Amino acid sequence: MNDIISLNIGQFALIYLLLLIVLFVMKKCKINQTKLLVVASIRMTVQLVLAGLVLTYILQNPHPVFTILYIMLMTGFAIYMVLQRNKTINKRFKIIVGVSLASSGIAIVCFFIMVVVGVSIFNPQYTIPISGMIIGNALTGVSLGLKTFNENIKAHKMRINTLVNMGVAPQKILTPFANQAIETALLPTLNSMLGMGIISLPGMMTGQILSGTMPMTAILYQIAVIIAICAVTCLAVFCSLFFGSRTLYNARNQMSV
Amino acid sequence: MPLFTLKNVNFNNIIKFPDIEIPENISTFICGESGCGKSTLLKLLNGVISSTDGEINYLGKNIEDFEPISLRRDVLLVGQTTYLFDKTIKDNFDEYYAYRGQSPISEKAMESFLDICSVNLPLGSLCNTLSGGEQQRVFIAINLSFQPRVLMMDEPTSALDDKNAAALMKNIKSFCKDNGITLIVVSHDKAIADKYADNIISLQGRAEGGGEVLAGGAKYE
Repeated sequence: MNDIISLNIGQFALIYLLLLIVLFVMKKCKINQTKLLVVASIRMTVQLVLAGLVLTYILQNPHPVFTILYIMLMTGFAIYMVLQRNKTINKRFKIIVGVSLASSGIAIVCFFIMVVVGVSIFNPQYTIPISGMIIGNALTGVSLGLKTFNENIKAHKMRINTLVNMGVAPQKILTPFANQAIETALLPTLNSMLGMGIISLPGMMTGQILSGTMPMTAILYQIAVIIAICAVTCLAVFCSLFFGSRTLYNARNQMSV
Repeated sequence: MPLFTLKNVNFNNIIKFPDIEIPENISTFICGESGCGKSTLLKLLNGVISSTDGEINYLGKNIEDFEPISLRRDVLLVGQTTYLFDKTIKDNFDEYYAYRGQSPISEKAMESFLDICSVNLPLGSLCNTLSGGEQQRVFIAINLSFQPRVLMMDEPTSALDDKNAAALMKNIKSFCKDNGITLIVVSHDKAIADKYADNIISLQGRAEGGGEVLAGGAKYE
């Protein structure tokens, strides 16, 4: 296998030309998100360059504190992003979402790194990139799950009130909404699993192959990561909604939706 | 002993209720202008909401001391808005029974409750194809079939014409009387109230949108 070709700044800058296509289509279709495209592109570039510099330093000077700090920062940011996208939920629900996301993410990362790969959790070369993928996908899943849950509850307020009046326990009323939200959160991962290897070669595997790893090794890692992503999404969304939905009613089973 | 007694009840400092007594085994109608707290009163009585101050007693015991789910099944509230699943009438009966963790009732029993509510439709009729009035009556029939100790209905005739409204109220009152069910009805329809009420509570006063505290008063007839 050949080593990866390093991109120089000139070569790298060419990729930004593709954004002009996006910009053109957006203008043509009157999609009023030009500002978001520019901000998102700049933020992505700056954030990834900074992450690259930090990772270079950490990999050259490995220390458990750096690894822990990096994971904490990543988790904290993921929680912040989820809560930013779901501002209307109550304070206790927010705490539960944060704890669910952090504990599910860290538990799955620990299992992956320590049990499956069999290296120390403080090894930044494995822990940082793998937690990035796992926590990042948990963020997407929980956001989607929460959004679905909240929207459905708002849309079915009349059904909820009727069932409450009839003497149905709130948990029983909310369970179908939580189940639906978990399904919605899981579907993108499950669908992408269906097409994997045929219509898509996932990012991690592509990266490993580009950097010279044997495809079979890259594939094993990729399979492990996808299963971990599926598990973390399921666990984080389930915990968020199972425990979070309990904050929507009080000890007298009175609901506040 | 009265079924319900209210003393100095206040909800969110917006609605102050007068002291009220509701007797058992007769039909009580609650009347009053919009915003005086009629619907809120029904919600307070079945514990869907709690009062900010004051005391509500049910069968001589503070309502807060009752297990809330059992209380709601005992004191059933048929809300102002009708909700039926996009399924057949029979499926709606089954669905609501399943939600309450109860075995479904027989089709014959369903038909008899529909008959009380003047619904002459096959059990296989899809509820989303029914008129507003038919949906309201199907919904009341389902609630009636639970045979609670107290049946509270909030504007049960709002979607019905005079003829259907009169038939519905006559049959329900008769069913409740025969089965020892106390009926509490919120209605803006004075004619219906005068005809079918054994007891009328007129709430006076109005809680304005700004949340001003205005005292209500009860008038017993």
